[in-house]
Amino acid sequence: MTADAAPVSVGTEGGSPDSGSSVWMRRFTEYGIIWITLGLFVFLSISSRSFLTGANLRNIVDQQSLIVIGGAAMTLTLISGNFDISISSIYINATILTALLYNATESAFVSILAGVALGAVFGFVNGWIVAKLGINSFIATLATSFVFFGIAFLVSDRSIIRVTDRDFSQIARGRDFILTNASWIAVAVVLIFWFVLERTTFGRHLFAVGGNAEAATLAGVRVPRTLIATFVLTGVAAGLAGALLASKTLSAQPSDDFSYVFAVLTAVIIGGTSIAGGEGAVWRTVAGAFFIALLTNGFNIHQIDPIIQRLVQGAVILLAVAADNWTRSRQ
Amino acid sequence: MALDRVSVAIEQGTIHALVGENGAGKSTLGKLIAGVHRPDGGELRIADAAVDLRSPKDAIDLGVAMVAQELSLIGTRSVLDNVLLGMEPSRAGVVDMAAARALFDEVSSRYGVDLDPTETVGNLSVAQQQRVEIMRGLARDARVVIMDEPTARLSHDESSQLMDSLRDLARRGVTVIFVSHFLEEVLAVADRITVLRNGRVIRTSAAADETRETLVEGIAGRRLDAAYPARRAAAAESPVVLSVRNLTRAGEYEDVSFEVRAGEIVTLAGLVGAGRTEVVQSVFGSTRPDSGEMWLNGDRHEPASPHDALGSAVAMIPESRRTHGLLMSRPVSENVSLPHLRRFARRGVLRRNAELSDVSVGVDQVGLTGASVDSPMFALSGGNQQKTLFARSILGTPQLLIADEPTRGVDVGAKRAIYDLMVDLAANGTAILAVSSEIDEVLGLSHRILVMREGRIAGELDAAGATDRELMALAFGLTERELA
Repeated sequence: MTADAAPVSVGTEGGSPDSGSSVWMRRFTEYGIIWITLGLFVFLSISSRSFLTGANLRNIVDQQSLIVIGGAAMTLTLISGNFDISISSIYINATILTALLYNATESAFVSILAGVALGAVFGFVNGWIVAKLGINSFIATLATSFVFFGIAFLVSDRSIIRVTDRDFSQIARGRDFILTNASWIAVAVVLIFWFVLERTTFGRHLFAVGGNAEAATLAGVRVPRTLIATFVLTGVAAGLAGALLASKTLSAQPSDDFSYVFAVLTAVIIGGTSIAGGEGAVWRTVAGAFFIALLTNGFNIHQIDPIIQRLVQGAVILLAVAADNWTRSRQ
Repeated sequence: MALDRVSVAIEQGTIHALVGENGAGKSTLGKLIAGVHRPDGGELRIADAAVDLRSPKDAIDLGVAMVAQELSLIGTRSVLDNVLLGMEPSRAGVVDMAAARALFDEVSSRYGVDLDPTETVGNLSVAQQQRVEIMRGLARDARVVIMDEPTARLSHDESSQLMDSLRDLARRGVTVIFVSHFLEEVLAVADRITVLRNGRVIRTSAAADETRETLVEGIAGRRLDAAYPARRAAAAESPVVLSVRNLTRAGEYEDVSFEVRAGEIVTLAGLVGAGRTEVVQSVFGSTRPDSGEMWLNGDRHEPASPHDALGSAVAMIPESRRTHGLLMSRPVSENVSLPHLRRFARRGVLRRNAELSDVSVGVDQVGLTGASVDSPMFALSGGNQQKTLFARSILGTPQLLIADEPTRGVDVGAKRAIYDLMVDLAANGTAILAVSSEIDEVLGLSHRILVMREGRIAGELDAAGATDRELMALAFGLTERELA
């Protein structure tokens, strides 16, 4: 950080305008995930006939829909400078509650709303613990994860719940216009979170809290309130994703499986939202999610050992974080 | 320029003090000798050999150790571990505890430093921690120890203990360079004293030839006349905006009372650590006073948070714009509008056009030159960053503006622009409560000056007739008669 000594920059890029290659590098790192994802898309379109088909693409989008819903919200959490590990447990609880309530009421509206409301309540608990008790969010939500997983086992009596009325699957699986309903819901969620982040006072406060909490407080931002709202929104998104999962699979099962949060975090981080807080964007997470999806799809189409895919995915996460560190150190 | 053609000779086995006002260059000189900063020109000789110190490590290798204001100890580890950190005697990577202990005891007895090697450093007082840090230097065969404002955070008893151990070190042949603005301590402990002002050496003399009065004279001296805008005197009958009565917060400030009227610039002056920033933090709601009252426009002012204070039309420019003021990676426009977003929002949704048009009015008013409102903060100069904070405050049309070190780290041109801005704001009826460590600025900008010392208001000066010597006398705790 040498801005104190730096002359005033005239450009809007904020870089060093003297060097053309550095501007180019900045543009590349800024939108890198888009170029890479598009490149992969083009490569797969050329290298395989079965890739560029309506059914395959529709499947890719559908498979990513629940991850994108959680990821759009998790982007906000990371921008606020926090993690929410508990979305896996909220997701599983919401699946169980939605399945149970649908069997009891036969009302899709009531049962899905209940899953979402459950997410809001659990999210509030997380936010309160982080904002008011000041516990590191990674640890706090790891701890609440186990509590929530425990609740799921208690509520479900440790058994698989099956939704007997198959019509319920239409909520997520139905196809109204090219894509599945779950995909359209994901599109709506992305647009809502994008809007909240970029166009509302809450979104601005979020960037401020994650960028410099001290400065935000002195600028009159009520930091605890902002954090609690962030965790509530993350919980709501995880609850919605869980409710849709119940519709997709027509079943719900308690477990202590953290795979949902890891898939979501992978999408957010590969997209380039900073784990240091204060910077990031919802479109990045969408791009990150589709990069992973294309990678998986490409490996499947070309019948490459899925183990290789794990290696590549790990390397890509490291690359994404290294790129973030690199741009940061240049500021 | 922090230092300008400074020449000092420091004799072995003496305590040599560097004194001067805030920003006179005394800490910078200490840091040059310790290898923290490098000189642009000139020569540094240690034990008659010219040296080029590229890092503190180079200095330590040559026997120069520095005890900085901020200690660099590992609080969770023992005294022994801290003293020998990075030089632990070991065999095949395994620390040889017996040898480590023997080395510690040897250093301890050679220099007469008495510390329990097994104690956890975090449990020690600040004074004891300083001795750990001194011992760390001694264990590395330091022949020169630089102490930068070592007593600023110590109680009276602890300070005198430290003075004793410094004298003891000097007797044993260690050279001590003592950077301080506490003149009594300097006179009591130092053998020789160098007075610095505006980056230049005024004189170096034997401590026996100096008194508090001669030191203050040397420190204050005659200043360059900086160009300050003409101040329009606030009307005597203008309403009191802020009234502070017997405000006390334990360990920070005590029994502080003052008033700021509309159109007035009142400056809290004094030495760093005198409690000035702490007082304005309470006025802004960052901390709460233990007792006393604040009144704003005749109503009780008890802000529970900066949010409350902003809601009562109080704005603050914090002391450190990077850590407390700005979001460095966000654009100028967002930094300006942050506290006022509600004004541009309908049901929480921002109206960007309204926001940008107000921001550009504010930015024009402060004269943000050569930068666009879309530029990220880190791309701006210090002066423009500071102006951004002023634009943010002005946008709230504050009745009371608190400006803590309003021109810190900005160039001369931006300084003048900020002074103009503050005088204009006052002329338009804003009450301004400033904190400043620059004596020129205090005298040139204020209508009234409140000098703080050790958490209390030591005295009040009317800026029209005030002199730097009066100000220094109050800040250092001398009477005017002693000065005259």
